[in-house]
Amino acid sequence: MTHTAPTTDEGLAAPGAGDLAARAQQITKVYGSGDARVVALDGVTLGIPRGRFTAIMGPSGSGKSTLMHCMAGLDSIDSGTVLIGDVELNRLDDKRLTRLRRDRVGFVFQAFNLVPTLTALENITLPMDIAGRKPDRQWLDRVIDTVGLRPRLGHRPSQLSGGQQQRVACARALASRPEIIFADEPTGNLDSRSGAEVLGFLRDSVREMGQTIVMVTHDPAAAAYADEVVFLADGRIVDTMAAPTAEKVLERMKGFDLPGATSA
Amino acid sequence: MMVKVTLRNLAAHKLRLLLTAVSVILGVAFVAGTLIFTDTMNRQFDDLFNGIGQNVAVDVRAKKVVDGGDETITARPVPATLLERLRRVDGVKDPVGNVTGYAAIVGKDGKLLGGQGPPQLGVNWVPGGDLDLKTGRAPSGPGEIVIDAETAERAGYRVGDQIQVVVNGPPQRPRIVGLADAGHLMGATMAAFDTPTAQRLLLKPGYFSDISMASAGVDERVLRDRVAAVLPAGYEAVTGTQMREDAKSDVAQLMSFFSIFLMVFALISIFVGAFIIFNTFSMLVAQRTRELALLRAIGAARRQITRAVIGEAVAVGFVGATLGLAVGAGLSVLLQSVVGIDGSGGLVFTAMPVIWSYVVGIGVTVVSAYFPARRAAKIPPVAAMRDDVALPQRSMRIRIAVGGALTAGGAVLMALGLGGVELGGNVMIPIGVGALAVFLGVAMLAPVISGPVVRVLGAVYPRVFGTPGRMAQRNALRNPRRTAATAAALMIGLALVTTVNVLGSSMRASVNAEIDKVLGADYLVEAQGQGGVDATAVKAVTAVPGVEQALPLYQGNGKINGKNAWFAAADEAALTAGARLEMKSGSTRLGTDGMMVDTDIAEARNWQVGTVVPVQFAGGATERLRIVGTYAPNQLLGPRVVAAEAFKKNTVNPTPFVLVVNTASTDAATMAALERALAGHPGLEVRDQAAFKESMSQQIDGLVNFLTVLLTMSIIIAAVGVINTLALSVIERTREIGLLRAVGVSRRQLRRMIRLESVVIALFGALLGIGIGVLFGSATQRALVDQGLTVLSVPVVTLAVYLVLAAVIGVLAALWPAWRAGRMDVLKAISVE
Repeated sequence: MTHTAPTTDEGLAAPGAGDLAARAQQITKVYGSGDARVVALDGVTLGIPRGRFTAIMGPSGSGKSTLMHCMAGLDSIDSGTVLIGDVELNRLDDKRLTRLRRDRVGFVFQAFNLVPTLTALENITLPMDIAGRKPDRQWLDRVIDTVGLRPRLGHRPSQLSGGQQQRVACARALASRPEIIFADEPTGNLDSRSGAEVLGFLRDSVREMGQTIVMVTHDPAAAAYADEVVFLADGRIVDTMAAPTAEKVLERMKGFDLPGATSA
Repeated sequence: MMVKVTLRNLAAHKLRLLLTAVSVILGVAFVAGTLIFTDTMNRQFDDLFNGIGQNVAVDVRAKKVVDGGDETITARPVPATLLERLRRVDGVKDPVGNVTGYAAIVGKDGKLLGGQGPPQLGVNWVPGGDLDLKTGRAPSGPGEIVIDAETAERAGYRVGDQIQVVVNGPPQRPRIVGLADAGHLMGATMAAFDTPTAQRLLLKPGYFSDISMASAGVDERVLRDRVAAVLPAGYEAVTGTQMREDAKSDVAQLMSFFSIFLMVFALISIFVGAFIIFNTFSMLVAQRTRELALLRAIGAARRQITRAVIGEAVAVGFVGATLGLAVGAGLSVLLQSVVGIDGSGGLVFTAMPVIWSYVVGIGVTVVSAYFPARRAAKIPPVAAMRDDVALPQRSMRIRIAVGGALTAGGAVLMALGLGGVELGGNVMIPIGVGALAVFLGVAMLAPVISGPVVRVLGAVYPRVFGTPGRMAQRNALRNPRRTAATAAALMIGLALVTTVNVLGSSMRASVNAEIDKVLGADYLVEAQGQGGVDATAVKAVTAVPGVEQALPLYQGNGKINGKNAWFAAADEAALTAGARLEMKSGSTRLGTDGMMVDTDIAEARNWQVGTVVPVQFAGGATERLRIVGTYAPNQLLGPRVVAAEAFKKNTVNPTPFVLVVNTASTDAATMAALERALAGHPGLEVRDQAAFKESMSQQIDGLVNFLTVLLTMSIIIAAVGVINTLALSVIERTREIGLLRAVGVSRRQLRRMIRLESVVIALFGALLGIGIGVLFGSATQRALVDQGLTVLSVPVVTLAVYLVLAAVIGVLAALWPAWRAGRMDVLKAISVE
């Protein structure tokens, strides 16, 4: 199985073909029916290379969040295949899917990432506690120190700032060393300084710890932290960009605002 | 505009509306059910009594000596010779002598028919009287009887059957010669003999219970005065209207007592329901903070917000009351069948149940929603723009002060009531109001104590159930007010059930201790129903080998020193054989005109040995009895014992209610021999001391169970409250649940988390309730020590069972909310606004 265009040709192949943390093959997702029918994903094929930071970009309604939800096993697809590692998600029942999310996937959402009744530390170890696994002490210490939250571990989410909350969420996603972390607009609710902190932290975890991260965003500045950017419009992948900068991404995004630009 | 907002809100949250309405429905159903049931019963009794004595213009009977009680049996009879004198009074037509007494029909299984309240009537057959023959013929001669068709059908008897009938005398074995159509007797039984037989068996030969007569065209009041003029002293004449009213009012009094009794439990249910409604509206307001703030921001006045929430409450109350009324009608049918009456007559609907259903349903909902509505109005408009706004919460300090004051005030009121201080002429009013205040006070204090208690209760959770356990414990702690209000609803029901159980258990223990202390006899022969132990039974028992003594105890009522009083009557031998008396002064030598009283009475009246006291017996005559001794209060005999001679001389058909038997040995053989000797007396039962205790315990248990069943309604409502709180919490925590599912919490773990939260809330409520119940129970016991409730007994095992049941209620209440939470779509849950 070789990964297909456009990801193949445009640089995502760099770490070596076949070493993919997650794959989507010809997936489609349709909401509603009749007049209200909306094709959110229209035959998307995408490979997420291991140990890289991939950003998915696109204007509102391009299907980028849907793509992430489908790849993370949060949403079902209408046709095609989604794999995490070598596990095909379509074949899993709710119980197995839940276990997969728990053991092999990490999440960072835009908001409401933390359980309000649990302390920061308890939130970080939540997926492992649920699984009944002991966290790897050394790794946990490293993660905590990297996010710089050691003095705040006993605090409840309501006692933390928005940036701190998102850093706790990142730490939770990292703590169980998942195969892949999906981040859905992780800085969407943050001011630019806190946002930069969180993004820098995500990038470092890829570079220094070899973590695989997929991030959905509509902010070119955020996308610039990624190794590669995948552009989505009208449910299709329309472009990819390696070594992005905020300016390049912004330039590319402007093209989508023009009607008919996606088909060009 | 606000009306539209209210209506839209209701329409958008039908499920929420229904959940809130359920507690209203249940409470209203109880009220409506009780009212409809009472109305229906009253109409049936009216029908029954309107059929009686239709043609009677004037009735002649003995003047009442004692109010209340069953004077038909103890009152002085009317001599038959009076009949002739009445016949000569101008305007009197067809005077008829009636005999009414006790006659219980024995069923095919050897047990007496009826007897659980409604009377077992024995009468004389009066041609052309109230009874119409349905089949067969009128009774004639000592061996013939007519019974009412309803009873015959119930027992499976037909004309020609020989049946056993228990009267105040030797059991009879007459043959049924006819069945009478007595209308709907509602559980009463009726047996009719010919007049001489009825007089002999039920009353006294040559006497009637009363003489009724029609009028030859004279107004009944005129006739009454004419008749009264010829009556000897001690008798009175009343009009037929008066007689029918009297009969009705006795029943009406009983019915209204029963109705008030049920209503108390209905109100308890409503009170519990109010907590649920309060809680639900508080949660709804909390969940709609942003929306309400938005309304405020765009210019809605506080009053409008309050009105919008109150408007919702009115709608919920209206829906709840309407459905409650319908459920109540069903409940009244159930009540009828429980009381043992078939609902063939149909239900009676008056305006009262309808009016009260809506008044109570809407009233309670609005009152309960008032505080949440006020709180809603206090939401600052800025809350619309912020993400996490806590509603303005009043400080706990005010809560502690008000709750503490209510609890203390309530406790004082209860103490006063238990101490005998009356309010509105009733000790139950200070006790009830006090209990209410204590419940409210404790409910207000509950959020303060919920923290430590829930922490302790849930301490094992994290260890046993891991992370779901920890989250369950934290969730229960999350909103102490909510947890407390939910638990408080459960607390009330369990507190009352516990009180009843503690009192029941104490009563049992006290009675047992008292029996050990005062009962000297080896065996007791007791009559079931209103009958007594007749002479043939005494003879049969005396003849049993090994029986050393078989002596009768009587009981009667009369006026002692001008006041209504019950007394026991016995001769000295029976007294010393049957009871262990602790004499304080004088002796037990009652003789023919002696009386003994316990020390309480002696002190209160300042009577000493030698004091002469006038005693008017139910028959009318007054005797002057001399106090011969005083004794320590004795539950077996009661406060007064009258010489048997004096009692028998002044009582028609005196029949002992119990026979005290002493035997050479108290083994199974003796018991069997006694039972054999009484085989021909189906109305009598022989009990040794253990069986006597057991029979007393059974009576107490019956009462405890009955009250528990009535209180179950409030516990069911409380359980609905737990469901409600959890379901709304699940909705409120949708995003959190979505997050948990996203990071890998399985459905099972999620369900367990909610179940555990429910259990800890239920246990908290149960602990509060059982705690308060034990306090209430022991306080009441303390207050009633003088009345014989000497022993405090806390039924630990029963209470432990209730605690377990509360946990089960918690699990059951969580079923649906947990299922709902587990079924939630992960993606929708995390993306919900």
